[in-house]
Amino acid sequence: MCHRRVVESNQNPDFPNQYLPQREQRQHRGDERANSSPAATMPPPLTHPLFSPPELSYTHTSLLLQPPIRPDARTPTQFRPIIAETNILPGTNGSARICFPDGNEAVVGVKAEVERSAGVIGSLLRKGGRGEGGGGDDNEEEGRKGVGENAWVELTIEIPGLRDDDALPVFLAAMLNEALLASGDLVDRLWINQRWHWKLYIDILLLSPPLSYPIPLLSLTTHLALLSARLPRLISEADEDPLFDNDWEASIHLYPRHNKSSEPTPSKPTATKPKPREQPPVTLLVTVVGENIFFDPSLEEIAVADLLLAVSISETIDDSEPPPEPKPTTTKPPRNIRLLSLRTIDPPARLTPPGVPDALNTAVTQAETPKNKAATTDADVDYSGVWVPPKGGSKRKLIGRIIQMVIEHGGVGEEVLEGLEGVDVG
Amino acid sequence: MPLDTSSYSLALLRLDGRRWNELRRIHAQISTQAAADGSSYLEMGNTKVICTIAGPAEVRRTGGGGSDAEIKVEIDIAGFSGVERKKRTKTDKRVAEMRYTIANAFSSSLLTHLYPRSTIQITLHILSQDGSLLAACLNAATLALIDAGIPMTDYIVACTAGSTSSYSSNDESADPLLDLNSSEEMELPFLTVGTLGAGEKVSVLVMETRAQIGRLEGMLAVGVDGCKQVREILDQVVRRHGKKLVNSIVE
Amino acid sequence: MSMNRKNLDSEDTKWELQEFVSGWYEIPAAMTDRRRINGPPGGSSPVIFASSLGIGGRSVKRPSRIRPPDELRKIFLKTGLTPLASGSAYLELSPSANTGETCDSLAPSSSALKLTCAVHGPRPLPRSAPFTPQIQLSTHIKFASFAARQRRGYIRDASERDLAVHLETALRGVIIGNRWPKSSVEVVITVLEGEEDRWWGDETGGGTTGGSAGGWGMMNVLAGCITVASAAIADAGIDCLDLVSGGVAAIVKTPQSQHEAPDRDTDMGEIGKNGRLQLVIDPAPSEHQEIYAACVVGYLSTRDEITELWLKGNIPGTTSFSTPMQMAEVGGLLDKAVEAAVAVRLVLGEAVREAAELKAGQNRNNKE
Repeated sequence: MCHRRVVESNQNPDFPNQYLPQREQRQHRGDERANSSPAATMPPPLTHPLFSPPELSYTHTSLLLQPPIRPDARTPTQFRPIIAETNILPGTNGSARICFPDGNEAVVGVKAEVERSAGVIGSLLRKGGRGEGGGGDDNEEEGRKGVGENAWVELTIEIPGLRDDDALPVFLAAMLNEALLASGDLVDRLWINQRWHWKLYIDILLLSPPLSYPIPLLSLTTHLALLSARLPRLISEADEDPLFDNDWEASIHLYPRHNKSSEPTPSKPTATKPKPREQPPVTLLVTVVGENIFFDPSLEEIAVADLLLAVSISETIDDSEPPPEPKPTTTKPPRNIRLLSLRTIDPPARLTPPGVPDALNTAVTQAETPKNKAATTDADVDYSGVWVPPKGGSKRKLIGRIIQMVIEHGGVGEEVLEGLEGVDVG
Repeated sequence: MPLDTSSYSLALLRLDGRRWNELRRIHAQISTQAAADGSSYLEMGNTKVICTIAGPAEVRRTGGGGSDAEIKVEIDIAGFSGVERKKRTKTDKRVAEMRYTIANAFSSSLLTHLYPRSTIQITLHILSQDGSLLAACLNAATLALIDAGIPMTDYIVACTAGSTSSYSSNDESADPLLDLNSSEEMELPFLTVGTLGAGEKVSVLVMETRAQIGRLEGMLAVGVDGCKQVREILDQVVRRHGKKLVNSIVE
Repeated sequence: MSMNRKNLDSEDTKWELQEFVSGWYEIPAAMTDRRRINGPPGGSSPVIFASSLGIGGRSVKRPSRIRPPDELRKIFLKTGLTPLASGSAYLELSPSANTGETCDSLAPSSSALKLTCAVHGPRPLPRSAPFTPQIQLSTHIKFASFAARQRRGYIRDASERDLAVHLETALRGVIIGNRWPKSSVEVVITVLEGEEDRWWGDETGGGTTGGSAGGWGMMNVLAGCITVASAAIADAGIDCLDLVSGGVAAIVKTPQSQHEAPDRDTDMGEIGKNGRLQLVIDPAPSEHQEIYAACVVGYLSTRDEITELWLKGNIPGTTSFSTPMQMAEVGGLLDKAVEAAVAVRLVLGEAVREAAELKAGQNRNNKE
């Protein structure tokens, strides 16, 4: 492999090897990799959408209409149907698989291992410090707040044809990790005692080549896997070396459930009201074309988007307020949805080739040479119906509207969570 | 954890309750992924494998590709597949050997001369391992290749066979065993045998442990016999899928 | 800068080495550095005596924010400091002013941010590369090994790669890429001193992050990176729609006593027994006990557009699930971050103009 690169750079005497920018070097090697595996013969369509300018222009125009027309005739907030199953792998603490109808498929396995905590003194100090500040709070649950370390959760994403240090998997993993750790509730639950903790490994496998931006797929699958994840019940006391109950039936859910009767409570039953339970996060992908906002975009829609935004939300279920009696009205009670993170994603439309309007196309205008000299300034050229890659950013107002659509009562967030509730998580 | 094999001689039952010549449950599905040219999902006991096929596709390399299609195998062992979480790199030697074995096996059964200058990519995702990994991979790949519609002379099916006592124990009355799980594989000598077609044509034979030469024949015979059973099961899966496909077209 | 190039190159060749070698050895982790003799993992951190943590009665005080909530730290920005690059810039944030109290520890109480950026290009792609209609932008952000209290390795880790993706998103929207087909530009940023994620006194647990979601320092670093890269791109003379500037805002907890009369503009209501939520711009993580949410924007002020948005956080308490409350929080954060970016833009514009005048003057002298 080393040899090959030397040969290649020798073909370009203008660019001696040491002056080649790194990106170019990487590309050379990327090409070689592509040769070695046909799954990656084409560059991933995310960064190089393989659409011609007329195709892009057509999709763009139909998405700009009022009301917009999506290529697959969905409404702007409608999601594609998915096939989901959980607890597919007995060797893991929790697992899930989701299939999209376009063939995208992901499997997530969650595995927990007991690990010795580093920095025992530090945690002792911190605990002492908290005792003073907490105002003599004896509640054990309160005392556990903030004991977790973010390093206790490790999330990896594997995408076929991409190396694990490529930008896409790194970016996706950072995005999902950030939403997962946003509240710190999860890492606090991994605390066993002063010297031991659970280390949670979340492995995300994309089984198909990435056809469209795989965030919603990976995030929904991770959500279900975490919901189905269980940890064995601790039977040792306080700061002893941890011992666990062998009975898997007695295990406790990583994300606690409401149904207390079927599940042994980890701590002594108290009369106090149950803590609000935060559910695992869900990350949605939203695109904007003109003034129109689309959820769950397909590949064609992503290719013409002005803005791609990943929105992470999570739901907190508060058991202390009993759900109101089901009234005969059709409205459902609002869910406690909280926004965890927002990230813009570089829209691939910026990399697309622009279309050439007739006025600038020499093949068309050759006959009338005297005229086209005047038309070569940008302002005179008619760009309607010609694909122009988007430039610049997006307005704040639009971002505000997206957030509103996701978190409001009866909004997209509630719809997605409701759909996910239909999946049996064991 | 050493396997307690002493109980076998008393009841003639293995730790998971099987007799010496019994297979584990095999469950298989075809066409599990719409995006791939061919795909399959196979369970042999707790070993679970997803296989996808891409191709036959044109070779991108300039001047590359011979008169036969090239078969490429990629194996991706998930970090959560074993008992302990372990991240395996794609360049692991053991994985490389499996890739080579699988590619070699299929280059003899597929009619690769029909696709000059092209590649057939077999991608195997191992979701859960509990013994007979190579056999499961071969079986899953056979199903996925059938789904992809790539012409082949016959099925390649595989299973493992072992012997009830270890090499050092010098036990004369050792029985051969069929389809070992991972705890048995750790303790006992075993081989993976793959056959082509319904006859007794062995096309794959891999053995990495030591066994007395006298037991080898017994193990091989049991393995080939097991392959026949596996072939029956896979054949049923394919026929059922074909029937479903025909019905859906007719309707 | 030459040092920096060397790092990147060696990282690249290292991968090849690994691929080459891996036929023989099993490589335990994909990201280990096999080219150098490394110190023990995790490195060592300065000794912190129990006395300095208030166990023996005396204590080191957390630095406190004495700036008003809507004031930035002082920014030093200068372009053209790396003569070999086609464009370059250096940015420094002054450490927040010390309150004048005597300190028992020698460790400085707060960090500053020091970034240097070089832009290479635009230059033609090699002939073997496929045609690209737009300029090919690549961004690299690397922390110097001494940039933070925890030593950084030579290979870019996941967080550095993640920052680079953010930066790429921010810059791609502003560069007019179709003026350079078939060419590439490379933006290389070295973080000489990074912002800390929290006060070192809280860091004694041994982990790099703790408590609720960490990584707040990264957001300041990103905002700095956007600004410094924008200056360097202007210095390189690459056509842009506008100068993009980075701004950060955060929702933090301030003790009730610190402001008797809550500012209507920045106050977000009470939290806990004796604290209030406050919106601040340009938060220095070491000055705040608790940061609940933060937001970075890459902002084009003449077009009033955002090319990059990164917001994360979680405000505890169940009272604020209502949509209008959350919209107010997020909207407030976003507006404050934009406000910060507008303020940064003044410095950025000044630095670019200064450099341009200097260049114009030089040209005139040369002609004479």
